[in-house]
Order: sequence, then C-alpha cells, then structure tokens
Amino acid sequence: MGNKQTIFTDEQLDAYQDCTFFTRKEILRLHGRYHELAPHLVPMDYTEEPDVTLPLALIVNMPELKENPFRTRIVESFSEDGMGNQSFNDFVDMFSVLSEMAPRELKAIYAFKIYDFNTDNYLCKEDLEKTLNKLTREELTAEEVNLVCEKTIEEADLDGDNKLSFPDFENMITRAPDFLSTFHIRI
Amino acid sequence: MRGHTGAFKMRGHTGAFKMRGRTGAFKMRGHTGAFKMRGHTGAFKMRGRTGAFKMRGHTGAFKMRGLNRGLQDEGLNRGLQDEGPYRGLQDEGPNRGLQDEGPNRGLQDEGPNRGLQEEGTYKGQQSEGLHRHEQEVFPVRDWDPNLPLKNLPLSMQEKRSTRDRRQQQRLSIGCWESWRRSQRIARRRLWEQVVRAMCGLQLWRKTLHTIEGKFGMGVKAYFTFLRYLLYLNLMHSVLMSGLALTPALLNRDEHTPRGFQGNDSVLDLLLGTGFLQRSPVFYSFYPPVLLSGPCLSSPLLFLLAIASLLILSVIMVVRRTVIGYKHTWMLGSSYNHHMSYEVFCGWDFCTQEPKTALLQHSFLRNDLKLALEEERFHQHVAQRTHVAQQRARLYFLRGLLNFLVIVLLGGSFYLIYYATVISQGEKPVSWILSLLVEYLPPITITMVNFLLPYLFCSISGFEDYSLTVQVNITLVRSIILKLASLAIFLFFLHRNIKSAQCWENQFGKEMYKLVVFDFLACGLNAVLVEWPRKLLVESYPSCSLLRALGKPTFLVPFNVLDLVYSQTVTWVGLFYCPLLAHISLLKLLIVFYIKKFVLFRCCEPAQRMFRGCQSSVLFHFTLLLGLLTALVALVINANILQPSRDCGPFAHGDSLFNATAACVETLPPPAQRAFSYFTSEAFALPLILVEIVFLTSFVSQGRANRRAIDRLKDILVMCSADKRFLVGKQAACLRALQPSVSAGSSGDARHTERKDPSGCQPFFARSVSAP
Repeated sequence: MGNKQTIFTDEQLDAYQDCTFFTRKEILRLHGRYHELAPHLVPMDYTEEPDVTLPLALIVNMPELKENPFRTRIVESFSEDGMGNQSFNDFVDMFSVLSEMAPRELKAIYAFKIYDFNTDNYLCKEDLEKTLNKLTREELTAEEVNLVCEKTIEEADLDGDNKLSFPDFENMITRAPDFLSTFHIRI
Repeated sequence: MRGHTGAFKMRGHTGAFKMRGRTGAFKMRGHTGAFKMRGHTGAFKMRGRTGAFKMRGHTGAFKMRGLNRGLQDEGLNRGLQDEGPYRGLQDEGPNRGLQDEGPNRGLQDEGPNRGLQEEGTYKGQQSEGLHRHEQEVFPVRDWDPNLPLKNLPLSMQEKRSTRDRRQQQRLSIGCWESWRRSQRIARRRLWEQVVRAMCGLQLWRKTLHTIEGKFGMGVKAYFTFLRYLLYLNLMHSVLMSGLALTPALLNRDEHTPRGFQGNDSVLDLLLGTGFLQRSPVFYSFYPPVLLSGPCLSSPLLFLLAIASLLILSVIMVVRRTVIGYKHTWMLGSSYNHHMSYEVFCGWDFCTQEPKTALLQHSFLRNDLKLALEEERFHQHVAQRTHVAQQRARLYFLRGLLNFLVIVLLGGSFYLIYYATVISQGEKPVSWILSLLVEYLPPITITMVNFLLPYLFCSISGFEDYSLTVQVNITLVRSIILKLASLAIFLFFLHRNIKSAQCWENQFGKEMYKLVVFDFLACGLNAVLVEWPRKLLVESYPSCSLLRALGKPTFLVPFNVLDLVYSQTVTWVGLFYCPLLAHISLLKLLIVFYIKKFVLFRCCEPAQRMFRGCQSSVLFHFTLLLGLLTALVALVINANILQPSRDCGPFAHGDSLFNATAACVETLPPPAQRAFSYFTSEAFALPLILVEIVFLTSFVSQGRANRRAIDRLKDILVMCSADKRFLVGKQAACLRALQPSVSAGSSGDARHTERKDPSGCQPFFARSVSAP
C-alpha cells in the first residue's frame, strides 16, 4: 500500500475529491468496500471506467445499512435506474451525501427523495404511513398512524394541498435541530 | 352569513365579517376589519381592504386589490394580480424564467452559461432521465461557479461533466478571475480541513457517540454540557494561573512557613485550614506587590483576572443560550413541529447494532404515543374549561399545591439558616463532631437539593397538566430551590462572618467546603445508592417491591442542575479561593468518569427520551441564571464589605477599587478625565437609554416580521389554490375545445371559442353582473 495505486488514475481521484466530501484515502477505502461486496463482479482496475453495477440485495446487506428501516429507499434514491442497482459512482455519491460534511440543503433534497415512496415528488399520506410503519415496525394501531400522519401534514403543509411538496419539507427540516446529526452514516 | 346563493355586493363595510359556503359572484369594496370566508365558489372581487384576511377552500376566480400594497408593487409577489399567477415571479427574483417553459430555460438568458446549454454536454442530460423532472422540483444552481460541486444534488456523472464544463470555462476567462476563483477554492478547502481537525480534537468523542447510541440524545446532551463546563473551567484556570498565581508565586513572602507544619493533618484538606490555608488555594496567599510601576500591581492583575474571567463567561454562556433560543422560539408557537421532527429526524442513521435498533424503534414508538397523549390532553383541556365548577376546583387545588411548595422551600431555607448559625458558632472538642459541625451547611444544602426535587415531581403529578408542562414546572421549581438555597446561605454567611479576621479566607473556606462536599456526595451516591440498587434489583427479581422500584434511570434534568449549582459555587468562590477553578476542573474530570460508570453499569435506558435539543437551551439558560447570581453576590460583597487589613492583595486599600485609582492617576490628564467620565452616572444613563431604544426597535422589527410571515403564509395558500383552479380550468378548456376543433373549420373554432359558456372567458367580466 504505497503511493502507487493502480485502481484509479490521478485525474479520476481528483474528480472524485471535487465531487464528493471524501479525501483520496477515503475514496480508495470505499472502493475496497465496494469490491468486497462482490469480488468477482467488481474489477480492481477502474482506470477504464468499467460499467459495473451491483444489485440492491448486495448493497442493502452492508453493516452500515442493515439495521436501517429505509435502506431500500436509500439505495434506490441513489441509483441511476431507480431500481437500486448502483455503480461505484452512485455508491460513492450515496455515502458522500450521507457523510457528516454534507450541507443541510443537500441532505434535505435527498431526504425528501428517500421518504417519497411512490416517487411523485410529493410526500402524500400514503408515503407518511409507510414511513411511520417502517419506523415503528407496525407497532402503532391504524388509528394512531392516521392521527400522526394527519398531524404531520397539518404541521408542515404550507400551501394547503394536504401533501408535503419539497418547499414545505425543506422549510420544516431546516428548522429541525437534530436533522444533521441523525441523517448521517459513518463509513 | 351562511349558505348564501346569488350575487352579493357590499360597500364600505367596517367590522368583522364572516361568511360560509356561498356560491355566486361576490363583490366588496372598502372593507376594513377581520374577514373570514369558507368554501366560496364563484368569482370574487375585492378592493381596498385592510386588516386580517382569511379564506379557505376557495374555488373560482379571485381578484384582490390593495391588500399588502407594498408587497404587490415590488418583491416577491409583484404583479400577482395583473394577469395570471406567477407572472410577476417571472420578472425578477431567483425563479426568473423558470415558469416560462421547461426547466432552466431562463438560465440560458444570462449568466456565464449563456448559449452553453443549447449545445454541449448539458443539453442532452436535461431532457432525459429522472433528472429533468427533478430539476423542476429541486433547486439546482449548477450554473453558479462558486457553488462547490459537492453541494449539487446531481448524480456523479453529471457532477463530473459540470466539473469538466467549469474547467473549460476557467480556461476561457481571464487569468485574474481564474486566480481569484482558485484562491477561493483553496481557502475553502483549508477551512474544511481545519474544521475537521478541530472536531477530531474534541475530548471523548467516541464515548459520547456510544452514549448517544445506547441511551439517546438527552443523556448525550448532559455529557456534552459537562464537557462544555470543563472547557470553561480550563479557561478560568489558565486566566487565574497567568494573571494571579504567577505574580504571587514569584513574589512569595519568605517569612510564612510552607508545607507541612506541626499542627497540620490530613483533615486540613477537608476543612481548608492548616497547610491548605497557607497555600495558593486561598485568598491570603496573594500579597499586594508592586511589580513594575503602579499600573502593574498584583491587586490590579487579580482584579483584571476576575473581571475578564466573568466577562468571558457571560459572553460565552449568553452566546450559547441565544443560539439555541433562536432555533426553538424564533417563530413562536406556530412553528411547533414536534410530530414532523419525530417522524423525519427520529431515526439515527448511524445505528448498526440490532439491539440499538430495537431500542430506537421502542423509543420512537413511545415518543409518538406520548405526543399523541399530549394532543388528547389538549383536547381534554379545551373541553374541560366549559364547566366552571370543575375549573374552580382545579385552580383551588393548584393554589394549594403551590402554597405547599412555598412552605417546603421556606422550611428548607430555615434549615439552612439554622445550620449556618450552628456551624459559625462554637466548635465541639472531638474532631469528628467538629468536622460534622463545620460541614453542616453543605450537608444540609445537598440533602435539601437531593430530596425536594422528588417531592416536586410527585406534587406536579396532582396538578393535572400535560406531561411536558409537568416536567417543565418541576424543573423551574428545582432551579429556584437550588439557586435560592445558595443565595440564602451566602446571605446568612455575610451576617455571621463580618466580625472575623481575614473574612475573605473564611468565605473562601465555605465555598471550598461546598465544592468538596458536592464531589463527595456524587461519589457516595454512585457507590452507596445506585450500585446497590442495581445489585438488589438484579439478585431478587421476584420481590415485588424491588420490581416496582426498578433499576435506576439516568435523570438528565436533575443531574444537569447539580452541575449548574457547582459551577455557580465556583464562580462565587473564585474571588476568595483563586484555585477553585483548578479544583473544579479536576472534579469535573472525575465526575465524568463516575457518571459514565453509573450510566453504563447501573442504569437502564429510560423509556421516554428527553428532548435533547430543547433541553440544551434550558441548560445554558440555567447556567446564565447561576452566573447572574454569582455576579450579584460578588458585586454586593465588593460594595458592602471592606477588604481585610492584613491579608490578601487588597490589604492596603479601603476598597477594591483603590488599586485601579492608583493606576488611573499615572495616566495623562485627558485620559483621567475621560476615565472619570466613563465611570460616572452622566455616562451610564444615556447609555441605558440608547440600549432601550435599540431593544425597542429590534422587538418591533421582530413583531413586524412575524406579521409579514403570517400574511405571506396566507398568500401562499391562496396561490396554491389558484394554481390548482387554473390547472383544472385549463384542462376543462382543452377538453371543451378539442372536439370542436376536430369537427369544423378554423372559423367555426373561433366562433365556438367566443361563444364558449363554460367559463373560459376572463372571469373579471362575469362578476360585474351583480344586481
């Protein structure tokens, strides 16, 4: 593990360093993690930018994501095809946005995408119900779930259309004091 | 008015107006006063109204003139009433051109990427994939070269192409601009590295992270607060060592004996007598020495140390309080987002272990249930107030319980007074008894501070408040108890100590004893109360009494109040016992590990999470209260009591400020006159007046902003309703036009358009037809 590494060209590493919140060492470490998810699929040499994607099932079983109730949605939001198949670019992007250094606005955008289960760019009542059930493992009664969803929409909805659009969500989440500390994954 | 159908015309109405479910045209002019409408369908026209305005569920055209005139002529909503919504928004502001057609079209009109989006790498990417639709929803300001790439919400491939584009740009602009930009990037990278390094240096990061994972954010807030106090005391000890200790050590009096002498014993550590009295710990060690010139004397340096220490503490604590206060109180109760925060920020994404995950799930479930309970309680309260007799009974009960609280407080204050009087009186012969008598005030204060909060807790259970209000009330009462008991103790100490020789040493000793006993109590509590309780509960699981008692849980608010109390004692005692900051520092370090032991080995996680961030505001505010108490006590001491004649740095003067007077006299006359002016009342009064003027202007600005926010929120709701109406209208028009276009010639189509009765004509014309 000297100075000479042949996984990425210097230019690629520079690009990654500019486009993510990681340093060179961390990007190489991330590549190691990506590789060990599927050693036979992922080449060690990325200088030619191989077109390799890993399926959802492999990524969702990583220790950092395994206990997260939203792991499927997280991986889907950061994949190019929306189905959860992540290339290395998507993989790095995901952990970059979820790292400690990402700013609040960027995290708010992706948090909205993650909680939007039906991808209609609105957090409607069904999205909230699904979120709640995942959070509490369906231990709340249906009436309680209903009440919580209604109260949440009532609190955050600014334009009165009974669902949360992105400005509503962003306005609410920028005031949340613990959003930055909870919405981050350490890798 | 209710359920009116048909035209409606009103003019020059003043006073409240309320309407419900009307259909048909509506025209009003010159209305002043509140206005409320619900479920109106049909055209609506209003002119020149002033006053609050509220509308709900309106479908139909809407035209208003003269409301919020200022807002209409410039800024965000310019031209909102001219024609169609959002036209004004297209004229200026950040969303210029965004509504014309397609995403980012307006961006092509100006900025450095002019023309670049019509060809080049970006064109294709805008029109395919998920991202085109998303750019309409999420703001993507990728044309701004100053925005770092990492912050753009684009996929990695798009970011890299943006990067290439920017690099191409950099080649095309002049070298001055590119140098400036590269400097900015380098500065930003350096700053990020510095911040990262500083974060890594923080003490106990890993421990705090583990605590957060296992016990929740409330407990972590306590330990973060402890660390903050540690840093504060570190700053204090550095200041004291540099400004007060060093001159005293360098100019030590050769005649006083040092170290262990004949009568000294280990008890001196507890009592502050003997060798400890002669050490730098107490006031009498510091001699009044002239170092070089009247302006560099040790009394002045001592005073400077204390003053700078207190001023710095005030600045730091106020800053922390204000930052937290802004977050929680800034926009008033209309921004209570507890449920949304629970749902969207409740899950800690860092959780990796299955056990912690299970705990988080149960925390969230309990918190949500609690929040729902509170809602139900509020509704119950709203219903309850209708029955007058119940209310009277409740208020009587609350009055009685408050009286009980006052009686308890009064009783504890009397106990403290009694203990002070006994301890200042005659000392018995045997050393154990005399130790006990000396320590009677600290023991009483600690016992009172330990037992009474539990009583307050159970009392508040009977007062029929919601759970959060109960917790808050208990906290407020405990804060009053702790700070007032300290104040009472200081007051009675004053009266009994004035006659003693070198009274500052006596005072310092009492403060020292308080700090030492607080530390001992913390250790003994861990070893004699928490640990055995846990052992008992574990070894006899069948015993019902023990099961009801349960394992100890870490009560965050009471522990925090203990920390605030000990820090207040440190602040009060620093003047008389200069090394108290160092002792406090050591004590906090050990207390951290004791509490960590209690938490990990004895406590089980509380089933209800204490809302971490609101509580940090409370902690800092309580600390501020403690600091103010200490300041008041010190100022009273400085003004009322004269310094002792033969001990300490102020031995040669009549008051503390003689030291400053000597220094001021050496300054040139203009400076002396200026100094005397600044310390006189002629300067203080105008200063206070100016401050009051500033405060008033800020408060009124805040109020005006709040009203503007409310108005803007209403406008937002109306705009959204407008948008939906227009979209529906457009769909209806398209549907109506389509069959006629396909059926006949273009002439027929035009004819049909003109005669179209389905309301595609401008709605303003229709509303004129009121009878």
